[in-house]
Amino acid sequence: MPDLTIAVAKGRLQDEALALLAAAGAGVSSQDLSSRRLAVEDESGRYRLIFVKPADVPVYVEHGIADCGVVGRDVLLESGTDLLQPLTLEIGRCRIVVAARTGVSLNELGMFRVATKYPCIAAKHFGTRGQPVEIIELSGSVELAPGLGLADCIVDLVESGRTLRENGLKEIEVIDESTGRLVVNRASYQLKAKAIASLIGALKHETD
Amino acid sequence: MDQKTESLSKIPAGMRYYFGLEARLRRTVEEIGMSIFDGWSYEEITTPTVDYYSLFEHGMGRSEAHRAFRFTDTDGRLLALRPDVTSATARAAATLFAERERPLRLCYAAPVFRQQPQSHAEWRRESTQIGCELIGANTRTADLEVLMIASEFLRRLDLDGDFVITLNDVGIFTGVAESLRLDPTSREQMRQLIDVRNGADLERFLTPYTATGEARAFAQLMQLSGKRENLDLARNVISNEQSHAALDRLESIWSVIESLDLMGCFEIDLGDVARLDYYTGLTFKIYINGAGYRVGSGGRYDDLTASFGKAEPAVGFVLDLDTLSDLVHLHAAVGSSTLPSQAKLPELTTKDHEQEPLGDSRDPSNNRSELFIEALKRRAKGERVSLKLGR
Repeated sequence: MPDLTIAVAKGRLQDEALALLAAAGAGVSSQDLSSRRLAVEDESGRYRLIFVKPADVPVYVEHGIADCGVVGRDVLLESGTDLLQPLTLEIGRCRIVVAARTGVSLNELGMFRVATKYPCIAAKHFGTRGQPVEIIELSGSVELAPGLGLADCIVDLVESGRTLRENGLKEIEVIDESTGRLVVNRASYQLKAKAIASLIGALKHETD
Repeated sequence: MDQKTESLSKIPAGMRYYFGLEARLRRTVEEIGMSIFDGWSYEEITTPTVDYYSLFEHGMGRSEAHRAFRFTDTDGRLLALRPDVTSATARAAATLFAERERPLRLCYAAPVFRQQPQSHAEWRRESTQIGCELIGANTRTADLEVLMIASEFLRRLDLDGDFVITLNDVGIFTGVAESLRLDPTSREQMRQLIDVRNGADLERFLTPYTATGEARAFAQLMQLSGKRENLDLARNVISNEQSHAALDRLESIWSVIESLDLMGCFEIDLGDVARLDYYTGLTFKIYINGAGYRVGSGGRYDDLTASFGKAEPAVGFVLDLDTLSDLVHLHAAVGSSTLPSQAKLPELTTKDHEQEPLGDSRDPSNNRSELFIEALKRRAKGERVSLKLGR
């Protein structure tokens, strides 16, 4: 029986997260990695890794089904879950930005439409400055929306900015920075204190 | 299913039925809890299910109270379904029981209603709180009394080895925040960083205020949970008087826990900084294997009864009875193939004859350990105890 269950976000962060975990002593065999199993044990037998969609990582950890997880800060900001965040991991660095078509000035609009995969982050950002907006929640290809007239601007995650440029969009402002985070369930932090501390210590050693 | 039948069969989110074994087990857990309170000389109180919303605003603070279900009275005043029991108990202490001899010892098991749960994992909107309040005594003996009741309850439910009670004192944080002269916004920012154990950002936050080494040491301290050594570490890192007084209070509690050989049930967690506006001294949280969120919490709230016109010290705790019953079920089922029944849980009867109060109220700090060794011995025999407490 493994000491800890770690939820790893599939997709963007996955490879870097697995490399970091392997360096910290939670490596998964290549055979297990190439399999399609969604729950595998690491080679030491101390950890069980489960692979879930990024937005589901906070869900598994908050319920204590996973003791900890590796997920981007963008997902945490959007989900508003109550989790411990003991460690910032230097992986998957990106920005959450507002972007619009080149030449469009949002300040001249009394109210505008925002297309985004991050409705909570967008609502909070514009709400804080008292700007009325209509938020249109999309699940992907958000960069299309302004060009086709669905929205005046987008709130999205940007790594290099290439997708924005190729779709005729320009970054207007940065809402926040995002990198990978280690998140921990509040009860596990107390009840499995030794195992958690040893994982945090090993990851910290790798990121410092 | 046509629309009419659906609306009649559906029950609102966060509400549920209890029946069969689960219902019996809940009743048993409640009875065990109430008999332990009785064994420490606590008297049961039932507070109104519907009360004025302003009571809870004063009793719990606005941010907690606004989670209540609200509606209006015939005269237009705002009412609420009770979101906690402590507020009404504190009001009763200051009004109804104003003339009674102190300390007051009150206990309850009652449903509370909250529209928004604190965490996504706590989905219930109706839950049963079982808890107690000890009003009119500001001594470490009083703090220890409620801690001993909580741990006796959990051990009696056969959860020994599966639970931990984490201890902290709000004075440690408050002292640091004041010595750094933080404005309310920065203070809340620091509290949040400690609360989520974000050591790196906490260190960065502190850097403008203090020497680098100190910022790092403080950030590390807030991430640790441990035993007595945490107090010694804290004394080396933190230098203000208020925090040191709080550390001394924690240390005198910890010494008794050591002499009772209960270190396995307790931890010192200086990073527990939830609800600082509410608590005034000792705070504690209760975690049990199998639940991803905390199952109980408590502490000292000396400012609460002042809202109702009579300022006096108070300490108490609540446990979530529904989660507790689920966990008793879970842990009993893991150990054996048979389901738990009343017979599996230890029999407990409090002997009826009154005992002489224990201890010496003139100097309660003297021999606190012996006092609790004697109290726990008598409790193990099923005797009712009543501790003498100074104010």
